[in-house]
Amino acid sequence: MKRLFMTVLLAAAVIMLGSGMAFAKTLKIGTMGPLTGPYAADGVDIKNGVLTAVEVMKANGGIPGFDDIEVLPQDTACEPRQAVATANKLINEGVNGVVGSYCSSATLPASEVLDEESIIMITPASTAEKVTTRGLPYMFRMCGRNDDQSKTAVKFMTDELKAKTIYLVDDKTAYSQGLADGVEKMAAEAGIKVLGHEHVNQGDKDFSAILTKVKTEKPDVFYMSMQNSATGALMLIQAKRMGIKAAIIGQDAVYHPQLMEIAKNAAENVYLTFGYTDKEAPAYKEFDAKYTPLHGNIGAYSGYAYDSAMAYMMAVKAAGSTDPAKVKAELMKLDYNGATKHVKFQANGDSGSDYVIFKVKDGKFTTYWNPATGLY
Amino acid sequence: MEYFLQQLINGITLGSVYALIALGYTMVYGIIQLINFAHGEFFAAGGYVGVIFMSYLLSQGAPAWVCLSGSLILAMAYCAMLAVAVERVAYKPLRNSSRLSVLLSALGMSIFLQNGLMLTQGVYDKAYPTELTQGGFEMGNVMLSYMQLFIVSLTAFLLVALNLLVFKTRMGKAMRSTAQDKVMSALVGINANRTISITFAIGAALAAAAGIMVGLYYGSVRYDMGFVPGIKAFAAAVLGGIGNITGAMIGGFIIGMVEIFAAGYISGEYKDVFAFVILIAVLYFRPSGIMGENVDDTRV
Repeated sequence: MKRLFMTVLLAAAVIMLGSGMAFAKTLKIGTMGPLTGPYAADGVDIKNGVLTAVEVMKANGGIPGFDDIEVLPQDTACEPRQAVATANKLINEGVNGVVGSYCSSATLPASEVLDEESIIMITPASTAEKVTTRGLPYMFRMCGRNDDQSKTAVKFMTDELKAKTIYLVDDKTAYSQGLADGVEKMAAEAGIKVLGHEHVNQGDKDFSAILTKVKTEKPDVFYMSMQNSATGALMLIQAKRMGIKAAIIGQDAVYHPQLMEIAKNAAENVYLTFGYTDKEAPAYKEFDAKYTPLHGNIGAYSGYAYDSAMAYMMAVKAAGSTDPAKVKAELMKLDYNGATKHVKFQANGDSGSDYVIFKVKDGKFTTYWNPATGLY
Repeated sequence: MEYFLQQLINGITLGSVYALIALGYTMVYGIIQLINFAHGEFFAAGGYVGVIFMSYLLSQGAPAWVCLSGSLILAMAYCAMLAVAVERVAYKPLRNSSRLSVLLSALGMSIFLQNGLMLTQGVYDKAYPTELTQGGFEMGNVMLSYMQLFIVSLTAFLLVALNLLVFKTRMGKAMRSTAQDKVMSALVGINANRTISITFAIGAALAAAAGIMVGLYYGSVRYDMGFVPGIKAFAAAVLGGIGNITGAMIGGFIIGMVEIFAAGYISGEYKDVFAFVILIAVLYFRPSGIMGENVDDTRV
């Protein structure tokens, strides 16, 4: 008797819970990224970008049919296993769409899990080619691709720097090594002599041995492929102290205000490949005005995260539902100027690469060279 | 030759840092046979106190030497107090239980302190004012920066001071006798608890000095910076013969040198492998470490 009573009570509770949810409709957006560990800065930037997009959306009247928009941030720690666990957690919590993650090595396995449940995932930061070449129907990408990034870097070396020799250092992550390997191959094809390609370990602070090698070899270009802006900053400080004269080229993962905060004048004149963003565009200014007072400095991927969340919410708004097939159809139709770039998804889910060369000047990233048109 | 000399300088600098941290491991082990895994966190905490105070002093327009020595003293004092507190909370109540429980308590303390740093100081790196540390001597192609000179000479100074303290003072005598036999030294009037606290404090102060030097040399500190150097310094202490001060110094320099030369002459990705291969080889042929004596005869 007691058991029956409990069962009825439980069933009643479940029914009430279910009906309660049906009344208040909430759009749930998950974010994935490293909130702890060495890449935490970038993960926090992604989360903040999504939060800002939601704030802006709510301020502009929200989405008809939804009472609220909720953001569920998850920590992947940049580990494949934890990424899969967080993807499952987000599925359990009933998210409608996901923005993330940061490391390609975390995005790849997590997207497989999300795709099985037909949950749309838009990565603001994973640049590995494989993210969109696997043919997953619900995988989208807001940032550019590694192959385009290395192409831009090598074109800059040959056309603008007239480099004859190059030395590469990476930190052995799927991202940084993939990028460095791509640059090495393309540079060799372009007739640049590769003097060496060294690897350091993640978490290293002392690069004096490797940098002494670089200095002895006297390359024209020192290609620094690090997955972490803080580590990149340490390498720049030590390179400057050692008196390395080579032109230093970094990439999008070290494109972060942290680089100058830590390296200070050691970061001056460093070149980086990063997607072009028009900071005078009205959409960027709207983003900046909302983001900066809430979260401080705009990080490298804050803008892409903002655009990813914005694109998703606009698609939901246009579709009038969270049905993945309908939202996908609306996403593919989007064609507008976002905060960071022109948003127009291609059939494979990419939104196109627009890498240009930035140069650090007076403690700021300034656009320096465009592969299509030359100097700015 | 120039290449070799440059790598030698790099190796000595890195070795000094490891040596300083290793001293704390070895002293604590010497006196209560505990591997204090939270030691790396004292190193990180020292780095943070250093950067906070140094930036403040700089913004007040204090000259470079005031910034350096002021923050050094403050960080050492802070970490000494932190270590005494940690010892009271996490190790003292467990002193008579099995070694495993104290070890676990130490691991827990390490995680606690690291997360504490993360939560209070944030996940971003904190930048050191590197403008204090630029420049150096250049002989041909060999660079010896002022910072490297500063690290090596400060390490040498601290090592000499520590040796004088341990072998020439009453305090040092008490430490050595407590290490040898806690009960007997208590019977002859040595306050064992106080001596243990002081040992912890000194070890942590040395780690804090290393933290500041690392911050200045490499340019920034972060909350999890204690882990890797902590492991390396632990290896150095074991290599030198844990419990032995001279051994810890030598071990620190060996690990630093092997790391730099392996990276410079073989490959950057294998440097840690070589450092630990040396450790295993030494322990295989000389289980007590380079300077170690019989296991029960450990001394501070």
